This record gives sequence, structure tokens and C-alpha cells, in this order.
Amino acid sequence: MMKNKTTSGTWVAKFILALWAAVCLLPIIFFASIALRPRNEIIAPTPIYFPTLTTETWAKIWDEWPIGTYFVNSVMAVFGSVVICLLLGVPAAYALARYKFKGREDIGFYILSTKMMAPAAVAIPMFVLFGRLHILDTVWALMLIYAAANLSIVVWIIRSYMVDIPHEIEDAARTDGASDLRIMWSIIIPMCLPGIITASVIAAIFAMNEYLFTLIIASKNAYPLSVALANFSGGSDGIIYNAIALVSFLAFFPALLLVISIQNHLSRGLTMGAVKG
Amino acid sequence: MTTLQSTIIRRRSPFMRKAFPYFLLAPAMIYLLGITLYPGIYALYRSTMTGKFKLEFVGLENYKELIVDNAFWESLYNTLVLGSITLVIEFTIAMALAALVYRDPWVKAWRIIFLLPMLFMPSAVSFLWKLIFNDGRIISDLLTRLGSTFGNIDFMGSTGFARSVLVVTDVWQWTPFLFIIFVAGLQGMDKEVEEAARLDGASWNSIFFNISLPMIRPVIAIGLVLRGIDILTMFTPVHVITQGSPGGATETLSYFIYRTAFKSFEQGYASAASVLLLIATIVVSQTLVRRFFKSGTE
Repeated sequence: MMKNKTTSGTWVAKFILALWAAVCLLPIIFFASIALRPRNEIIAPTPIYFPTLTTETWAKIWDEWPIGTYFVNSVMAVFGSVVICLLLGVPAAYALARYKFKGREDIGFYILSTKMMAPAAVAIPMFVLFGRLHILDTVWALMLIYAAANLSIVVWIIRSYMVDIPHEIEDAARTDGASDLRIMWSIIIPMCLPGIITASVIAAIFAMNEYLFTLIIASKNAYPLSVALANFSGGSDGIIYNAIALVSFLAFFPALLLVISIQNHLSRGLTMGAVKG
Repeated sequence: MTTLQSTIIRRRSPFMRKAFPYFLLAPAMIYLLGITLYPGIYALYRSTMTGKFKLEFVGLENYKELIVDNAFWESLYNTLVLGSITLVIEFTIAMALAALVYRDPWVKAWRIIFLLPMLFMPSAVSFLWKLIFNDGRIISDLLTRLGSTFGNIDFMGSTGFARSVLVVTDVWQWTPFLFIIFVAGLQGMDKEVEEAARLDGASWNSIFFNISLPMIRPVIAIGLVLRGIDILTMFTPVHVITQGSPGGATETLSYFIYRTAFKSFEQGYASAASVLLLIATIVVSQTLVRRFFKSGTE
């Protein structure tokens, strides 16, 4: 029945899908080959499509830039921001999902609308604020700004999972005398764990990707991977693409693992709970 | 013990019951007001000042200058042109792929392959395409092999080419975003409606365009709103690849603000542009978001 001849059964459809798969994969394979080739084969008079593959350049790259530090900066800033998002976001999501109160809708939409904020529009005030707090070029500043950028997403994703939990369970616990906080902690949170994990993964990936705020906050010590790679250029050598490619894959593999772990929740996460499935 | 506790809670319940959700929301609200209200007020204040270290009050001078500044209007125009072209291309490709794949038994495998570009950092993707188009001359070389006689094309040299590079970069990385959402929308549809139409002898095309597509309209709207907002704040590829060249033809609004504030250090002037952008954002988000996420709140 589903194997209808006119849908994906035809090989025209298969061809189109394979074509787009090639569009996705070929640049990635090329990028991987950049990470694996010696520096003089990256920019040549005629492009080299089948380079000498070697990992010998990695030691040199590792010596030239503190890539380990960049990686640790990224992990700390991303992880810290997700923790902040959850600490602030889970109670907020619980309130929006499980209580009826005045202004609920307005507050919910206000939270959502902060997602629409253009980073460029708030960059100057944030730069000044962090300057006054003396936390420019620190991982703390990155943590705070990533959390601010992703809090709305976290609240809305978790809220959408909490709404789905039947009220009976909560009512039964309440009749047994459990307090509201107790209900949130030992019933609602465990039951919407997939939502909390999804929200954390999406927030982590967005934080990892953040560029504009990071660019103005980090100037030397706090470089995370996303901005560090923009500084891989060495005078006469120009832009050092094999270092960039190497660092890109360093960020890509953790992201891939995280996304595979939530792949059935991905669309729900990306739409902040609006599209289920 | 438990009965005692519950009596205590029940006794103070009228007030607590009412105030409790606000307590839960307060930390998040304070945090978010910190990144919306504070920047708004500060930008408004700063936009009436000029100077780099010693500030001087100039009233609306910055705004007066801004509305006659060609660079500002050009960046707004570029943002809209780049944004709409990119969004249309991404929508078309994502929808076509989603339509081909959503009833395919291999849908999960296709989805993983197609989403890979999205998992690279945008700055990394920008460098990748900068290398492919310009520094590595891959595109020129491939075109020459296919018989083009242009030789080495300078993709940063002409407006059309430079803009295309930005479009390609964004389309390559972010088409998967819409694709994943559209597939979920199509899969979430009731299969039986399609089946019934098929049994009635409707062709695949007419089923897709007359039944499936209208049914997932809310999903399409949400996808486009989210992607649209991201595209309108496009910054990373501009900063990495073109830096606005040639002659500001690829400068987006975000890059304009960044350049004036952090390269020319005219923060008062850039703040004026920030205020205008903030107002636009508030208007757009209040209308669009409320409308399209309504179903999510029910």
C-alpha cells in the first residue's frame, strides 16, 4: 500500500535524494580532507582533490594554538549556560504548564519573544555591562550570555512536555499531601525527562554555535571553538584552513552524538515544542 | 506528619496558591528582563550621546544622521534581499525533500544524512565555503573543467557573486532545519486522509498539494517564522566571508551595527540603529509569534 509506484518508489525521487545527500556530504568529506592534508596542498595553483593524507600536521597545529584550552572554554561555557537555563527554566516551565494564573499567556509570549531578539541589537549594552562587571573575556560572561540567549527555548520546550502529563497524577499526589515543590521535583520532572534532555541538547548546540556575542566578549583568554577558529591565520601563511577544519570536527562529533541521542525529539526541540513528533 | 504538613499548606493556601506560580517564574523573568529591558533602555540612552570616552548629549542627532545614511539603508535592503532569496530557496528544497522522504522506509537514515551540515558551527561552515569559493578556487576549477572560460572567478568582486556565496552558505547549512520540521509535520498527519484520497483515485500530486500541504500549514508557518528571524539577523557568514564587500553590497543590518560599534567605535550611532532594530523586532515578534505559536499554547 505505502509502496506506491508514484511516491518514493520511482527512481527519479531516489536520484533527487541521492543528489542532495551528495550536496551535503561532499563538502564535509572535502573539509575532512583539508584537516588531513599538509599545509602546502590546501591552496595550490590548481585545487588538489586527492591529497596526501596525513595526521602529522596535527601536532604542529596543537603546538601553535592552545586548542585544548579553547575546547575546555567551550565545554565550560556551554555546560554552565545549560545549567543556568535549567535552574531558571524548569520552574518557569512548570508554572506555565501546570498553573492557571493571571497574565500567564502574556508572560509565556514575552519569554518566547526574547528568542526573536537580534543579538546585534543588544550587543553594545551587553558589552558595556560586562565591561563594568569586569567579566569581559571570561568564560563566565559567555555562560551568562548563552544562557540568556537560550532560556526562552528551554522554557518552551520543557513546558510543551509538561503540558502533556495528565492532571490526575498530580491531583492524586496532592490529595496524599505532597507539596507543590515536591510534586514538581519527584513527579513532574522525572516524567518530562525526555523534554529536559531535548531542551538541554538544543541549548548546548546553539550555545556552541554562538558567534556575535562571543566575538565581542572573548578577546584572548576566553576563546571558545566557534570564535577561536576565526583567528587561525599566520601572517604570510594567510588563513590556516587545516587548523580550522580540525577544530570544526572537534566540535562536530560531540554535536552529532548529542543529536543522535535525541533524534526522535529533534523537530519538537527545534520548534520549541510547537511541532510534535 | 504528612497530614500535619498538608493542613499547614492548606491553611495558607489562598495566598500561596495564587503567588506560587509567580515565584516559580520570577528568576527566569528577572534574567530575561535583564537582557531585554536593560539593553533597550541603555541603547536608548546611549543613542542620544556621542563620543568614545567622554560622552556628550546630542539628543536626536544620531537618528537624524542615521536616516540619511546610505550605508544604513543599504544594509537594511541587503538584509531583506538576502533574507528573502535564502528563505525561498531553503523552503523549496526542504519541502521537496520532505515530500519525497516522509513515507520512505529509510526516512531516518535520510534525515541523519541531511542534517549533518547543521551540526557544524556556523563559523566553520562559513570558512568551508570561503575556501571552496574563493581561497581554494574549487568552484572556478570545477566550472573550468565543465567547459567554462571564465578562469578564476573573484567571488568577492561582484555584488551578485558575493551575495550568492552567502546564500549558498546559509542554504547548505540551514535547509535541514526546515526539512526536519516539515518531515515531522507530514509524518504527524493522519495517514487515513491520504489513503482515502488515493483510493478515490486522486493522483499523488493533487493529494500532496490539495490535502497534505494545507494540512501542515501551521507547521510550515512556524518553521518559516523561526528560520526567517534567524536569516534576518544573519551575521556569521558576513563577518567571516565577505566583511560586507564589495563596497558594502553584502553588509547586513547586524553587520552594520557591529561594524559601527566595534570597528569604528561609534557606539552612540550604532545604538541608534540598535534601537530601531529593537523596535522592529518587538513589533514583528509580537504579531508573528502570537499568531503562529497560538496552537502551541492552547
